[in-house]
This record gives sequence, C-alpha cells and structure tokens, in this order.
Amino acid sequence: MRLFWALIRITSMVGADALSLEGLVAVDADVVRLRRGDPNALSELITRYQNRLYRYLLRIVREPAEADDLFQQTWLRVVEKIRSFDASRNFDAWLFTLARNLAIDHLRRIRPQSLDEPLANSWHSETVADRIPCKDHTPLDHALAAERRTEISEAMAGLPMMYREVLTLRFEDEMKIEEIAQVTAVPVSTAKSRLRRSLEQLRYALEARYPGGTWQ
Amino acid sequence: MTMSEHDKIRELLALAAADALTSAEEKQVAEHVRSCIACSNELEAWRPIASELRRLPTPQPASWLVQATLARAEAKLSVQAEHDWNRRVMIVVVAFAWLLTIATWPVFHFVSGRFGTLLEPQFSHTQFGQTWFSHTSISFAAFTALGWIAGGVAAVMLAIRQRGERRLA
Repeated sequence: MRLFWALIRITSMVGADALSLEGLVAVDADVVRLRRGDPNALSELITRYQNRLYRYLLRIVREPAEADDLFQQTWLRVVEKIRSFDASRNFDAWLFTLARNLAIDHLRRIRPQSLDEPLANSWHSETVADRIPCKDHTPLDHALAAERRTEISEAMAGLPMMYREVLTLRFEDEMKIEEIAQVTAVPVSTAKSRLRRSLEQLRYALEARYPGGTWQ
Repeated sequence: MTMSEHDKIRELLALAAADALTSAEEKQVAEHVRSCIACSNELEAWRPIASELRRLPTPQPASWLVQATLARAEAKLSVQAEHDWNRRVMIVVVAFAWLLTIATWPVFHFVSGRFGTLLEPQFSHTQFGQTWFSHTSISFAAFTALGWIAGGVAAVMLAIRQRGERRLA
C-alpha cells in the first residue's frame, strides 16, 4: 500500500515537473516571439502573468487604483525593454523586477512614508471562488478558514512594504529564495533574513491582534 | 547540543515552515526537532501561518484593465515596429544616397563640361586659409551638400506629414 502511494506521489511529481517545464518552454517561446514584435505573444504573456503580477503590485501599493495603473505601466515597460532582456535569465524575475521598480518609484513619488508605514485600510479581497462552499468542509469550517485568511491578510497589510513583498513572492508566487533575491536586488542571505524577519513580524502582529493564538 | 546551536536552529524554524532552507539546513533542523520538544512545538506554531499565507485569495485584475493594457501595449509595439522599419529604411536610403551621389558625379561633371578635371584633380585650386582645394573637390562637396539638403528637407516634410496623419488617426 505504501509503495502504491509512493508511486502515485512520484507520478504526480513527474507530472507537475513536466507541466512546469512545459510552462517555461512556452514562456521562452512567447518571449522570443515578443522580441520579434509579435502581438499574439504579448497577449499570451499578459494572460499568463496577469493574476500573479496584479496580486504582487496590489500587495506592494495596497490601493487597487494604483495597482491598475502600475499593471499597465509594467506591460508598457515590458514592450519597451524586451529587446534588452537577456534570454538566458528568468523572465519571471525580470518581469517582477520591472514591476517592483515602477511600484517603488510610484510610492516614493506619491507617499514616501508608505514604504515603511502600514495603511489603515486592508487590501484584502475575496474572489467569487472563495465564496463557493467546498463539499469536504462544513459551513463552519469554511467560515473559520475565511476568517483566518482575513486576519492574516490584515496583519500582513500592516507590515512594511519590503516584508509584504517578500511574503507574497515566497508564499503566493512560490519563488525560490534565489529568485526573490534577484527580484529585490539583494544578496541571497539578505533575502533569506528578510523572509525570516517578515514571518516573525507577521506572527507578532497576529499574536498582538489575537492574543492566545485565537487566530489559529 | 549546546545552547548556541539550539538558538541557531530556532532561528531557522520560520524558514523551515516557509520551505526556504537548504537541504543541509533542513537535515539539521529535522535532527534537532526530533530531540527538542520546545523547537518541535515552535515549528508546529509556524506551520499554520505558512499554510494560511499560501492560501490567501488572489485578487484578479478586472477584464477591462487587461483589455486596456493589451490595447495600449499593442499600440506601443506597433509604434516600435514602425520606428524599426523607418530606421532600416533610413539606413538603406543613406547608403543609396551615397552611391547615387558618387555614381552621378561623373555625369554631372560631364554635363557641366568639366569632365577633364575629374582625371586631373590638380588642374586648378582655391585656397581656404592655409589649405588648397582643387575645384573638383569643391564642386563635388557642393554637389553632395545640395543632394543631402534636398534629401533632408524631403525627410522633414515627410515626418511632419506622418505626425499630422498620426494625430488625425
């Protein structure tokens, strides 16, 4: 029985690797086509990255209207700079670096204090999919899970920008530490200690808001 | 296990929950946690935070935003393509203009009745400052300048017209 589950696990891992490899090849092909000026490749890339990029920008600036504007600016910058993109590099890291630079410039210009200070309003948003009850969980489980997500996202919104950024890159975009270091333009050791500090800050924030671990 | 090693492992626990350790660090943490209840509990306390962070809802861009972005980016892409085309055409035109200037010079010279001086560049000279220039060289420079000025004026007029058309579009 254990062998059976091990086989299932290996098959699913190979499948997942094959899928991610396929995704990488598709991105590379789209990037090459975009460098030649193919508008279809641009459409493919926007479709592929729209949710991740938008989420990242929203986590940084926290204001949907500003994230909207930065989303557009990022893709315009991609079109402008795609020829200078080194094809041997990771496109994800390059794209997020462009977005990050634009977002930081924007924050410095609009509200310089926001790079370190939390906002009063939460950026937390719930999708339609989140409202659909899962049949494996009771409505109470679902309500508690939603509440936990709200609590954690509110606590996260209260962290300084560089901590929010590293948390979203690691947990939501599932970037490796090396990729996070590339996007944030810091050494790997700094990215790692920043991730640790951001988790510690988040935990302190949660424990301060919900003493006794009631948020868990 | 000394205290400093315990503290060192404790610092790694948050990163362990985030799956951000190297394989050597992971092994170190796993070995320590097996024998240290405090660290084992601490690691368990980190896990729900990491797990909830992975499950945060993804805010999605509005469809109008994606469409508007695509439209703007495509417009920029086509402007860039046009610029590239213009640059290539400009290079070809410049090369062609040089060839044409050099090729038509003997014809111009012949028509102006001074074909002989082409073969004898030292035939007559004019002094500019301390330097002597042959009349052939001066005529050739004037002919080239005239051609380039005419070409430049044409290019400027074409660019102004194109800009006007783009504004109307």
